[in-house]
Amino acid sequence: MKTQIARLMQPKKLLTAMAVASSLALAGCAATQTSKTVDTGSFSVPAYQKVTLSNGLTVYMMPQHEVPLITVDAIVRAGAVNDTTAGVAEMTATGLMLGAGGKSKLEIEQEVDFLGASLSSGAGKEGSYISSDFMAKDADKMLPLIKDMLVSPDFDATEFDKLRQREIAGLSQAKESPRAVISRYFDKLVFAEHPYGNATSGNSESLAELTIPQLRAFHKSYYQPSNTAISVVGDFEPAQMKVKLEKLFLNWQDSEPVTLVDLSKDLPKFDEADVLLVDKPDAIETTFLIGGMGISRDNPDFVGLTVVNTVLGGRFTSWLNDELRVNAGLTYGARSGFSAYSAAGTFKISTFTQTVTTKETIDLALKTYARLWQQGLDQATLDSAKAYVKGQFPPKYETSGQLVGLMTDMYLYGFDDAFINEFQAKVDGLTLEESKRLIDTYFPKQNLQFVIIGNAAKIAPIAKEHGKVKQVSITEVGFGG
Amino acid sequence: MKRYTKALLLSIGLLLAAPMAQATQAKDIQSFTLDNGMKIMVLEDSSIPNANMYLFWKVGSRNEVPGITGISHFFEHMMFNGSKKYGPKMFDRTMEAAGGANNAYTTENLTVYTDWFPANALETIFDLEADRIENLDINEQMVESERGVVASERLTGLENSNWRVLQEELKGAAFRAHPYSWSVIGHESDIAAWTLEDLTEYHKTYYAPNNAVVVIAGDVKLAEVKQLADKYFAPIPAQAPPRAVKTVEPLQKGERRVFVQKASVSTPNVMLGYHIPATSNADYYALDLLSSILTTGNSSRMYQGLVDKQVAIQVDTYMPMSFDPNLFYVMGVANPGVTAPELEDAMISEINRVARDGVTVEELEKVKNIKLMGFYRAMETINGKANTIGTYELFFGSFDKLFNAPEAYNKVTPEDIQRVAQTYLKRANRTVAVLAATEEADQ
Repeated sequence: MKTQIARLMQPKKLLTAMAVASSLALAGCAATQTSKTVDTGSFSVPAYQKVTLSNGLTVYMMPQHEVPLITVDAIVRAGAVNDTTAGVAEMTATGLMLGAGGKSKLEIEQEVDFLGASLSSGAGKEGSYISSDFMAKDADKMLPLIKDMLVSPDFDATEFDKLRQREIAGLSQAKESPRAVISRYFDKLVFAEHPYGNATSGNSESLAELTIPQLRAFHKSYYQPSNTAISVVGDFEPAQMKVKLEKLFLNWQDSEPVTLVDLSKDLPKFDEADVLLVDKPDAIETTFLIGGMGISRDNPDFVGLTVVNTVLGGRFTSWLNDELRVNAGLTYGARSGFSAYSAAGTFKISTFTQTVTTKETIDLALKTYARLWQQGLDQATLDSAKAYVKGQFPPKYETSGQLVGLMTDMYLYGFDDAFINEFQAKVDGLTLEESKRLIDTYFPKQNLQFVIIGNAAKIAPIAKEHGKVKQVSITEVGFGG
Repeated sequence: MKRYTKALLLSIGLLLAAPMAQATQAKDIQSFTLDNGMKIMVLEDSSIPNANMYLFWKVGSRNEVPGITGISHFFEHMMFNGSKKYGPKMFDRTMEAAGGANNAYTTENLTVYTDWFPANALETIFDLEADRIENLDINEQMVESERGVVASERLTGLENSNWRVLQEELKGAAFRAHPYSWSVIGHESDIAAWTLEDLTEYHKTYYAPNNAVVVIAGDVKLAEVKQLADKYFAPIPAQAPPRAVKTVEPLQKGERRVFVQKASVSTPNVMLGYHIPATSNADYYALDLLSSILTTGNSSRMYQGLVDKQVAIQVDTYMPMSFDPNLFYVMGVANPGVTAPELEDAMISEINRVARDGVTVEELEKVKNIKLMGFYRAMETINGKANTIGTYELFFGSFDKLFNAPEAYNKVTPEDIQRVAQTYLKRANRTVAVLAATEEADQ
């Protein structure tokens, strides 16, 4: 692969990149830096309906007739931020698959597989979901199944014990790959005791303590129609689908008030640079993240920040990838990005390198990051990033699965289709002055937070150069809290 | 072209459900061949204002020899490092400034370049690709920095993927003659050793228009593509065809085994590799369906027999499309407390059960439905369409085979599944690779 699924980061030959940037500017428009808008074609979100059923259930429907498939996502507004015991949201969601509506786990799986369909469930920080796609002709088989799982799961005891055991084993296995777990350590470092620090997966000790009554209680508290949305995209007729869903969910009623967590409260502030050093004695490379607090998903500057981050670490020619990979050959990939939730988020730079080049790579990452303030963006680079972001936007909303995900996010994070339909105009409107304001306002500059996974015997002295170090073993329970 | 696409898919669906007359929509995939031998296929689809170009080059690690292993993949990297008109870094900078993005991948058989862009950047993409096909500048400084990148890619694969670690060792044991023996990324010492001459020769031989298939899908018109292909690709001269890969892997005459130690592995991983014929063989379809019967979905044989019974926490099968006879992989990760031999026995037991008792008609119907859904999902995007069309063109000899595939799957019977399991998934034809924190001691 030329690039990699999870690119990571850091810079080296500053002068080279600066020279290229200024030559681009000159080539673009002689001596002046007039902005240049690239026409990438027009794109708007396909028509959809949002309705509320009589029991309070929110339904999004978007017909798409390209292939004879239907994709359905049910999303419940409850996730790891609502955990009382770590992992209860995830185990409740995964537990929906363990039998429902008079059918055992195996019977459900056999039926779904026989139709060639997919059906899965899980949880994130703020939402729990059931996700499915199937042939349009099978809607009357799949929709009742999804409803039974959502409304009246069995939480079969034997199956629950097996699921829990698999999940605990899976946690150990995940820790064999630094890339698979590093973000969990980072969220814990940044958010600490705030609910956003909760690892969705829980940990081996908390999962061992979980009981079926806890799952039932979590389900009863949050899986209620007024706290749930169902999104349907694909080959169907909306009026008929609405009737179908109304009938299917007729008897599902709210049972109790939903307990809300105020996630905007008690967000941490950093008064020092912290380093979480995660020791993996047989590591052959060092994997690390650097960052801090980011933004919430409904931030009005979300689109502008996407463009600015594209320059820093959001594409192949970004500063981070150019310096760390292309100029220095220190890594296979380096990148940066914002992860945005409903009330907060993180920003992080990520990359990896051989153990022996750890110091050089971290230093170069920080030096490149500092260019945001020392040098800022130039017009040609900004124009290019704007064209790139616009040009790559439509394929993000091409499939039924992607469009279902969009509507689910709209429900969970409280934005609407203006995000899509005004996207191009917002990108086009971003100026150099505005980009400077975004850099100064949102990119963490002081007291950076580091997670470094590698061979501590060799890299501990390097970790110390960047802040107050806490060292844990990767095999310890949990993610460094 | 949405209308076309749906018609094509429906006809395939019907074929799978009940064979019917050959679909007529094959004509909607339009193709032409330039005088220099480059074949170009076009699928018009205006569902989004974007298009893509996929360039399939018939070169992969199977075209390498010891001493230059990994050079196909390394070359993939070099193709981004500058040519005559667009110098160092300018391929990516120019494409991104026009709203486009790209990537590439190398396999045992192919090197594939993918460009994704707003449709109105089509000419820029042609210009960029033509420049690097005809005039790549291979210079020493670029080669040196790119070696570091590839070394890092190799390292991070081994750090983060047990599959990569095991597969590399398994291939080395399963093949003793054929170039499938080494990993696509190549041996560490070879990565350090490529010369400029190796690379220059490789480019001239394999990046000739007569060695490529190009697929363009999206919001484009055939006439426009033809005009641009004439302008940019047609002037690139053809070359003598590359040498054929002549080595035939000798028949395996008994089980082979390898062990890999890695301290941080929490429970043993087991991978089995069985020699199977090339994709062009008629048994491909039965083997592909067998693969699904074993591991697709929680109702599959190996999920039920291993994961549900808490012998494994994960099982999978993998069967790459392949020009030459290759391997059918089966991989499992042990549940805590389960030893490598126990996991291996359980995996083999499920395979042997198919060989001994066969499969049911219902099981077979199930996996045919799963294949159909997978096909629909792939054809939901312009990228999926381009990739599917190109893949059929290369591995089955013609994209027309896309229209024969449903019938071929449909013809497979439970007896065929049992026969291929008996023929190929047997002990003497098997290599076993085990990865664990410690090797079991001698008794």
